[in-house]
Amino acid sequence: MITVGIIANPASGKDIRRLVAHGSVFDNDEKVSIVRRVLLGLEAVGVERVWIMPDSFGIGLKALHTLKLEIEVSLLDMRRTFSQEDSRLAAQQMVENGARCLVTLGGDGTNRIVAKASRDVPLMPISTGTNNVFPNMIEASIAGLATGLVACGYAGEAVRHAPQIDVIQPEASHNGRQPEVSDIALVDAAVYAERFIASRAIWDASKIRDVVLTRAEPGNIGLSSIGGHLLGGNYQPDQGVYLKVEPGNHGTRVVAPIGPGLIRAVNVTDHRLLSPGDEVVINHSEPCVLALDGEREIQIKPGSPLRLRLNANGPQVIDAHKAIELAAKAGFFIQPPQEGPD
Amino acid sequence: MDISHDKLLWMYKTMRSIRAFEDQLHTDFAAGKIPGFVHLYAGEEAVATGVCANLTDSDFITSTHRGHGHCIAKGVDINEMMAEIHGKATGSCKGKGGSMHIADVNKGMLGANGIVGGGPPLACGAGLTAKLKGTDQVTVCFFGDGASNQGTTMEGLNLAGVWKLPVVFVCENNGYAETTSPQYSVSGQDIAARARGFGMPSAAVDGLDVFAIYEAIREAVSRARRGDGPTFIEAQTYRYYGHFEGDTIKYRDKDEEEQYRSRDCLQRFRGVVLEQELLTQAELDAIDAEVKKTIAEAVAFADSSPMPDTKDILADVYVSFPEKEMWPFQAVPA
Repeated sequence: MITVGIIANPASGKDIRRLVAHGSVFDNDEKVSIVRRVLLGLEAVGVERVWIMPDSFGIGLKALHTLKLEIEVSLLDMRRTFSQEDSRLAAQQMVENGARCLVTLGGDGTNRIVAKASRDVPLMPISTGTNNVFPNMIEASIAGLATGLVACGYAGEAVRHAPQIDVIQPEASHNGRQPEVSDIALVDAAVYAERFIASRAIWDASKIRDVVLTRAEPGNIGLSSIGGHLLGGNYQPDQGVYLKVEPGNHGTRVVAPIGPGLIRAVNVTDHRLLSPGDEVVINHSEPCVLALDGEREIQIKPGSPLRLRLNANGPQVIDAHKAIELAAKAGFFIQPPQEGPD
Repeated sequence: MDISHDKLLWMYKTMRSIRAFEDQLHTDFAAGKIPGFVHLYAGEEAVATGVCANLTDSDFITSTHRGHGHCIAKGVDINEMMAEIHGKATGSCKGKGGSMHIADVNKGMLGANGIVGGGPPLACGAGLTAKLKGTDQVTVCFFGDGASNQGTTMEGLNLAGVWKLPVVFVCENNGYAETTSPQYSVSGQDIAARARGFGMPSAAVDGLDVFAIYEAIREAVSRARRGDGPTFIEAQTYRYYGHFEGDTIKYRDKDEEEQYRSRDCLQRFRGVVLEQELLTQAELDAIDAEVKKTIAEAVAFADSSPMPDTKDILADVYVSFPEKEMWPFQAVPA
């Protein structure tokens, strides 16, 4: 059966940046509405079965309430941890059981978790988070249609690999083996001069240190905007960017929207473009955390180096507009004339 | 975020004290030693501790029927709390309030409250007082996911929003309103997002991580002190015991409880401070031993205390109203 998975993060769009910045609250009822529109889009193009990740707020359950569908839709029967780990477990189970595409509702952070388990199954990321560079601000009906077209085999060319940053911690090696990738980031990995992971989000420009970006398009928000505003688009599409940021007034002062409403100047004292496979070694003498896609994730001990590597073969992602375009050019949306009198 | 060595010690001692206090009551209630009901806070320690770490004695809190943790974190005397729960004359309220009505105004603890949703209007009153007097006092209003559905809560949120009161609303979403999940009892199913309808910023925070709560409340309290008005925090937490002692907990499964227990706030705290060499194993172990002794002494204090005298049954029930100067607009009796 042609199957698609939907992973809607009930926690996205509600972190501390509503207090320390000016982030919008993205309520779960809106996510319910988005899931409904995705389901209707998927059904319209021939998807036969959909699994939805269960969550404590019941987004999937509520989406199905009173919605009349011909296709088989069910909540995924999975072991739950009641944490962000649920998104990864759901993705893993969906992929192992034959889902052809995964639709995600969340921000960069949610997609990072899902991408850890999505392998080569394409993602259709719909933005419901705070700083969104990886997911698209896209109408959910369009996302559903596009995902369905890819799942049904009508728009395979609309899928491409997104880059990612591999996090390699030497301490994570076991029994003398080569250190393995312990985590990933899809947009940015940044050293943040803060001891605690605490509420996870980062917003204080004075604490930003080394930054590695997979992309730096002008117009982005978050840490990616620093690279975007510094380079003005002068880099190749497959290149990443390393920025050395230091407090004080030296270096190049770059004004950038590092968060919603947080337009700040940061001092970039060094930068270089990264090609796929290039690594940046991070080593600090002060207690820091490594933030991945805008969320503090890993405590870095002083004197314990770690490596960040640009990897061109990150998760597969659907280009929704291209998928629709391909199908339209093939006449997919044109129906034969109806029989009978006008 | 700098947290002093003393504050880290205080955080651990407070969380450990709440856990030990509640575990003791769990045992003693089963043995028939406790009169009345108790609703235990074990599992939720990071919330009360992370919140009250940002407050002083002159700030206020309003509490709930599950209020022991709030009391301990706000500095209410543990001996007097234990005596109150045992119904003894030496208790915080002279043994006449019991578990659900512990109060200590000198510590800014305006009272546990048996009325679900009873706290928000009281918090608005305290907040209005601070605003009219021009002090920088902040009031934190603790309530649960069940109370988030109460009319009094909605009214309190509205008043605080309209008057820009220095109140921080902390919804302790522990997963169940008595026995019912928010999935079945909260329309819209999104507690944090509700506050936006009342014009105040809101955020959902990991209530099992004291550092996350501390950081979020620090921002909320700063907003309140500088006159920016109320803030709403949904602390996503979990209670280890039932709604009340004696609850057979048939509405949730063991696996769920184990998942939450695997993220226990005390263990996480120990992991962070030891990994970062902020506190030593010896310091933490010493606090464990000290707290064990404190709780044993509190039980002994309660056991040896007298019952209240029936002649005092109406004492302290009603305040004596001042005849004048109670309100700026109160007419002075002729």
